[in-house]
Amino acid sequence: MAVVNGEEREEMNRANEFVDSVGSKLVASLAGLGLAGFVIFHMLGNLQVFEGSDAINGYASFLHDMPILLWTARAGLLTAAAVHVGLTIRLALRNRRGRPVPYALRRYRAASVASRTMALTGSLLLAFIIFHLLHLTVGVIDPSAPDGMDVQGRLDVYGKIVHAFRNPLYVGIYVAGQLALGLHLSHAISSAFQTWGIEHAALDRLFKLAGPGVALFVVLGNLAIIFAVFLGWLHP
Amino acid sequence: MKFTLRIWRQRGPNERGGFVTYPVDDVSPDMSFLEMLDGLNQRLIVAGEEPVAFEHDCREGICGSCSLVIDGVPHGPERGVTTCQLYMRRFANGATITIEPWRAKAFPIIRDLVVDRRALDRIMQAGGYISVNTGGAVDGNTLLIGKEEAETAMDAASCIGCGACVAACKNASAMLFVAAKVSHLAMLPQGKPERTRRVMAMVRAMEREGFGSCGNQYECEAVCPKHVSVRFIAMLNREYLRASIMGTRIPARSDAPHGESY
Repeated sequence: MAVVNGEEREEMNRANEFVDSVGSKLVASLAGLGLAGFVIFHMLGNLQVFEGSDAINGYASFLHDMPILLWTARAGLLTAAAVHVGLTIRLALRNRRGRPVPYALRRYRAASVASRTMALTGSLLLAFIIFHLLHLTVGVIDPSAPDGMDVQGRLDVYGKIVHAFRNPLYVGIYVAGQLALGLHLSHAISSAFQTWGIEHAALDRLFKLAGPGVALFVVLGNLAIIFAVFLGWLHP
Repeated sequence: MKFTLRIWRQRGPNERGGFVTYPVDDVSPDMSFLEMLDGLNQRLIVAGEEPVAFEHDCREGICGSCSLVIDGVPHGPERGVTTCQLYMRRFANGATITIEPWRAKAFPIIRDLVVDRRALDRIMQAGGYISVNTGGAVDGNTLLIGKEEAETAMDAASCIGCGACVAACKNASAMLFVAAKVSHLAMLPQGKPERTRRVMAMVRAMEREGFGSCGNQYECEAVCPKHVSVRFIAMLNREYLRASIMGTRIPARSDAPHGESY
């Protein structure tokens, strides 16, 4: 092993300064995939609202009855969100610096709308998630929301959902949130395959469809709940 | 044919640039884009003005010297060709054509439409080579290479290093270029010994030059005059993952002759 001279050492330090973008992307996409996985299960769990108040309230109390699992999952999600947001903001700032003088005229050939708005939809999504947590999890946004228990003494999640989505203001905010989520996921998931080096001559089309497919699945499921309440199909 | 050209003029690296409009007529539809610019420059020289500086060399689409973002697309509207292979018949008579240089922090403008692309050379110096000890030439067919491997390596090696991928990328990323070079050498037995070190050294060199990161938008592939596939970027990512795992051992620093490597 040869001696590392001063210049080389300096060079190594400089390289470590940014931990390269390829590595950052790998970690950011892994954290993002974790969050995407949660979003799928969140949607599937909430679909139980269609089975009536007993099913969804029972599901909520089932989760709350396992505080260690619940809080570990919440801590994990928070960590994944912090890693994903932190790394992607750093990457985005670095990317902006990559072209200080913009083109006067720019024509796109391949880039999808979703891929061009990742920073925007990501920021909107973050704002929406904070709003959503304060609204339906913590419950500080809408003071008029029923904060009661159901007849069996469980948290009345059903009542909260129905109360929220009878209000066109909340419907508007949540539909906008779903739009941001759909766009973000549709590029993110297909993109993650490429970032992890997963490519295949025949299966590539499937990978390209995975993003829009998952996005549509999640968004349609969530919108079904919102509109079922708003259009009066789910009664209080 | 007649055209109105909006060309980016900039006297030097630290000067302020701007668009200057030049009408051109008497353009033959069979002229290449560069020949059309030659005609404009002849006229400017006769009029005692500074000709428009642009890069060119072989003019047969293989050297990677020509550049130009034409109407918002690197190498212009034709797919799979360099600017020198673009013909004026591709444009509508009377059209206004906007001509800009490659724009990236890593490609500073030298003059007008000429940018400094040495950042790509420095990435190559960091690892885009194989180390061969001198001696007699190896007998033919000593190293057998499968047809598939040879073809894939050749597809990657068809990169001419023009930098259109950087010019087209929203993030001014050089990933397609680095991917082509890393994949080309990783496919072949001659490239295998330095495979682990190479990908890390080249990715770090890319970072040092100030290129952005890959957003998987695939604009690079869409403008590449050699149709280098973004599948090579996936291959680069695989090589990087492999090297991250394999390269955690204490590095053997035996490659001093190349200086840049670590």
